[in-house]
Amino acid sequence: MNRKIGVYICECGPNISEKIDIDKVIEAVRFLNDIVVVERYKLLCSEDGKKYLTEQIKRYGLTHLIIAACSPRDHQLTFMEVCENAGINPYLFQLANIREQCVWITADKEEATKKAIRLTKAAIGRVRCHSPLEKKEMESNPDVLIVGGGIAGIETSLQLAHSDRKIYLVEKTASLGGLIKNFEKTYPEMHPCSISIQQKIETINKTNNIKIFTDSEVEDILGFFGNFEIKVKKNTNEKDSVSFNVGAVVFATGSTLFNPNKTTCYGYGKFDNVLTALEFEKMNLSGEIVLKNNKTPKSVAIIHCVGRTEKGYCSEICCMYSLKFARYLKDKIPDIKVFNFYSDLCIPGKTHQKFYEQTQGKNIDFIRAKNIEIAKKGEHLTITYNDEKSGKNNYDVDMVILSPALEPTADTARLAEFTGISLGDGGFFAEVHEKLGPVSTSSQGVFIAGCSQGPKSIPDTIIQAEAVTGKILSSLIPGKKIEPEVKVSFISESFCIGCKTCLDVCSYGAITFNETKKVSVVNEVICRGCGNCVAACPSGAITLKHFTFNQIYQELKAAIQ
Amino acid sequence: MIKPAASSEKKGAVLSIKTTIQDSIRNLLKKGMDQGVFDAVLIPMRVPAGDSFSYVLIKDKSLLNNAVALPPIMSVQGAKAVSSVTRLGNGTMKIAAVMRPCEIRATIELTKLDQVHVENMTLISIDCPGVMPILDFIREPEKAIKLFENATKSWDDTIMRPVCQICDKSSMIAGDLHIGTLGTKKDAFFIISNSKKGKDTLEKLDIPLNGNIDSWQIKVKENAEEKQKKRKKTHKDLKTKIGHLDNLLDTFSQCINCHNCMRVCPVCYCRLCYFDSDKVKHPSGEYLRRAKEKGSIRFLPDTTLFHMGRMMHMSLSCVSCGSCEDACPMSIPVAQIFSMVADETQGLFDYVAGRSSGEPLPLKTYKKDELHEVEDAHD
Amino acid sequence: MTKALKLTKNTEQGVREFVKFLLEKGNVKGVFTLKKINQKGSVAYSLITTSDELNDAVPFYPLMPTNAGTLLSRFTLNGSTTEPIVAIVKPCELRAFIELIKREQGSLENIYIISSTCGGVYPLKIVAEETIEKNLSQYWDAVKKGEMNENLRPACTGCTEFTPYTADITVDLIGHNNLDKECVLILNTKKGEELAKEMKGEFLERELDKETLKKFYDKRDAAKKKLFNEINTKMKGLDGLIEIFGRCIGCHGCSTVCPICYCKLCEFDSSDSEYKPSTYESELKRRGGLKVPPGTIYYHLGRLAHMGISCVGCGSCEDVCPVDIPLSIIFKKVGESIQQIFEYIPGKNIEEKIPLLTYEEEEFTEIEE
Repeated sequence: MNRKIGVYICECGPNISEKIDIDKVIEAVRFLNDIVVVERYKLLCSEDGKKYLTEQIKRYGLTHLIIAACSPRDHQLTFMEVCENAGINPYLFQLANIREQCVWITADKEEATKKAIRLTKAAIGRVRCHSPLEKKEMESNPDVLIVGGGIAGIETSLQLAHSDRKIYLVEKTASLGGLIKNFEKTYPEMHPCSISIQQKIETINKTNNIKIFTDSEVEDILGFFGNFEIKVKKNTNEKDSVSFNVGAVVFATGSTLFNPNKTTCYGYGKFDNVLTALEFEKMNLSGEIVLKNNKTPKSVAIIHCVGRTEKGYCSEICCMYSLKFARYLKDKIPDIKVFNFYSDLCIPGKTHQKFYEQTQGKNIDFIRAKNIEIAKKGEHLTITYNDEKSGKNNYDVDMVILSPALEPTADTARLAEFTGISLGDGGFFAEVHEKLGPVSTSSQGVFIAGCSQGPKSIPDTIIQAEAVTGKILSSLIPGKKIEPEVKVSFISESFCIGCKTCLDVCSYGAITFNETKKVSVVNEVICRGCGNCVAACPSGAITLKHFTFNQIYQELKAAIQ
Repeated sequence: MIKPAASSEKKGAVLSIKTTIQDSIRNLLKKGMDQGVFDAVLIPMRVPAGDSFSYVLIKDKSLLNNAVALPPIMSVQGAKAVSSVTRLGNGTMKIAAVMRPCEIRATIELTKLDQVHVENMTLISIDCPGVMPILDFIREPEKAIKLFENATKSWDDTIMRPVCQICDKSSMIAGDLHIGTLGTKKDAFFIISNSKKGKDTLEKLDIPLNGNIDSWQIKVKENAEEKQKKRKKTHKDLKTKIGHLDNLLDTFSQCINCHNCMRVCPVCYCRLCYFDSDKVKHPSGEYLRRAKEKGSIRFLPDTTLFHMGRMMHMSLSCVSCGSCEDACPMSIPVAQIFSMVADETQGLFDYVAGRSSGEPLPLKTYKKDELHEVEDAHD
Repeated sequence: MTKALKLTKNTEQGVREFVKFLLEKGNVKGVFTLKKINQKGSVAYSLITTSDELNDAVPFYPLMPTNAGTLLSRFTLNGSTTEPIVAIVKPCELRAFIELIKREQGSLENIYIISSTCGGVYPLKIVAEETIEKNLSQYWDAVKKGEMNENLRPACTGCTEFTPYTADITVDLIGHNNLDKECVLILNTKKGEELAKEMKGEFLERELDKETLKKFYDKRDAAKKKLFNEINTKMKGLDGLIEIFGRCIGCHGCSTVCPICYCKLCEFDSSDSEYKPSTYESELKRRGGLKVPPGTIYYHLGRLAHMGISCVGCGSCEDVCPVDIPLSIIFKKVGESIQQIFEYIPGKNIEEKIPLLTYEEEEFTEIEE
């Protein structure tokens, strides 16, 4: 091929021009093979700069372009676009990073110049071996998978169902509703909540474009934003696996309660009448609050912050629902004595302070306590504790309710692995940024909402459900085109001997085995070009486009010669 | 999947030898074919010219008369024969394959790489006194046969391949059945089951598994311990010989890059070896640059790199069969070197190549907690 | 009469000094020749770029660890050499290189070739036996006298192509008593003359000693006929082939070292040569027993069909065979038979097209009839 390589060194304002001797770099590469022009320019990424490059490409009839400037993370795409518009295949271009990887790491002008020369020569050595690559386009799938049928999943489904797309809602238990279906009322309004949740479930059942899978779990997630391949399996029947494609995935798997039998001081599981919050909610919903011996309790202690030390974080909602429990008790058993043992009271927001004050007014004792221990005393339970005012103290009660921390569900780790996202603090799904990206993950197209992202209240869950809806509606537009990775692997059919080593190391499930030909095949649409397979194949039968052996070799050679 | 039975669980039967052990084995296989337990047998036979042995897939029972379960040489590694027949699938025939323990182990390794399919195969091994270097046989076949016969009787390994002389796995059972000839009473031999398939096969052959194989196990343990001592010493000596880079280069300096070692190796399964591919074919400027840097380079260069690369790729599956050394035209002790390194690399992962098809290949297995000693070394 | 350059040194030293001169002058940037690599008599081809390293060069050593035709092809596979080099190779190695060039597997551009009339090489096992140094003086004695050496590669014992055809410079070794005292470089081509122009020495007119060479040729020819007859009796019919190839283990070492076998992936290593279990099963029904792996003889016949037309009879195949099959004589014989049909001598003339690739309208009418 008759190559005509143009080399352009960006001054990047004073950033580069004052830190290296650009003219020396020009001299060093001017007479290399295939170089037809070497120039410097003030700011190549500017509109003027791009116009200049376009004009240069046309003037010299360049076939390949080298730019020595900033990091590819900044302007790789910018310059690739310039190439494309000027008639050069955008992959016949290489950007040498002489800013972040050169002038920004040393103040020594001489050393920086030497390195800039090496980096530019390396880019030239490499670009000579580049092959033109064609972008592929495919239509993105507008449908959405929502994992988890609790309030977050329900809300997201209902919001998204208005648009022109199919929603797949997968719930691992037998019915939708999540934790809320066990509550009689929610705070602070203390209205019965089962009706509203039932209404929502009814609406979902009636909505045609929401397909519900109960008693089911996600078996596999392959692919990428705009093109995920999902497999769902019913828990009862191993063989019944359903496959479908979606464009986005939402994890709304909620959380579960910390198990107090991991501690010894509360007597949970040892003594009768020590209940967790969920057990109490269920008892309360059934209508009768009773002790094991069927008698009505005369005194109840509610212990906040169970497991807080072990988990290392505050679960936001337990103080409020503990107050709710106090209300439940007082409403049903007016004469009952209620003690709330807390360490700190967490009552943020514009309505919660009032709720607390009103609860206090119902003759409920709030005790700030440390070192709580529950012991059995005949038919009763004794709470021993340290009061910051009066020192060691104890009380006898009939029933103890523990308010435990929220923790992520058991499937969190598995689902994270499918999609390559991480788990963050507490083992919850990691959001991409606490403030600026609370519902997005590091994998484009995979979102998180509700308690699967971290402990939160119902209002906050709804907020996140709506946020996810917004994100999906704005990014996954029906008819939108997506471009799968161009720099993918390719397996030589004649050299592959079918040992499946590459299959084992592919993190994206992009390699399948052709049983007839007994060779491995790369699914170019799912492949992300990570190169694991290339490295793993002992016979070198796999090539990575744009990162071929020769391209890397020539780049290295030019860099270190 | 063949899960090896624990030592204490291995069950066996004692069978009598009427004429010779070879005859008894042949009769057993014939019986198997008669009763439809096997449709075919894969076993070595002497070639028409009499100067070698080759594996034959036998359907016609009468051919079994010339089959030899334990030939003096290993012309083609048994695993390669199995791969030739079953690489592309299982077929419908039930095949009994009779091979040496290291050939069975290599076959097991190949199951993990999709290069053999043994679901329809019953793998039968036999106690192995070793293998003679192939040229020793070819040059004087009749003499070699007598030497091997005597060596089998006295279990003396002096005429065998150097790696056979320090092999402590010559009675290791990795397949379905094993023929035990050690620790037996006169005119008797053991047949030991190592898997459900093996057990079922013996049942179908009306061979009850009620024999006491203790004496076999004792003798095998004795032999293995003796060999292990020898192995340790030999490896120590070998390490001093090739330990330093200069010594290593010197040892491989005679290599002519014929790649015979790689080709006869049962676990080198690549269709096109990396070291035969375009990746090692450089332009003239590259060679000239290297030659200028050093003043002169061997042409073609990178001889030792080939061996180190091959070692990296297959060491974890090396079964120390010694086929490589037999095939080397320059008499380089490749098998001894590769076998020694394999002990170490496999030892790192507590892995023995071919010991069990249930054990995944260490190279492809990710464990979060592993090799801390290597991490620590770099702290 | 051809121009020649005479140096008053023993032949080996003379050639060494000549190439040193070329290197120092800059006429060439590298010397490709045999070089000692250890004290035990091992030699290997080397690409030498400094004078000092040339001290260990042994250009006419009677050993062929790899056929230099393969090596020169590898050197120029990805394009002709970027800088001029001089290569000292044996006649069959040169012919192999020419045959490869005809198949786009190399280039002669910028390469100067020095060759010699060749006394043959020893089998490679002599290196392991560490007896080559002992044999050297005896070897050269025979060469100087124009006599046959014993214990050479069988291919060399029956080789009648010991005179190079296309070298730029030829050193006539066979039948020259004074190899110890003088070195005569016969400058066959303009390139050769250019190369030798500035070297200090006596320029004279000299040809290859045709008479001596004819005598030697006759000896070799007789030996060849004997070898061919021996193999002929062994190779009769399929039974003969089965006997002679019966111990072949299918290692394909022969094709790996063969200079003419240049395919990246041999047909017989590809998936084309693999059989499904159903094929084994149907064959077994017919035959009752099958050698595994199959296709032993088929491979050799295939290789003969593919490369026989260009076989230069170097004997590398036999040296590498782990089971001592007399491959070189088989291939040499069949190769020459094919070549005779077309009156083709592989590697003699770079312009001569490979008969296998040449269509002639009028040909083999005897077969038609």
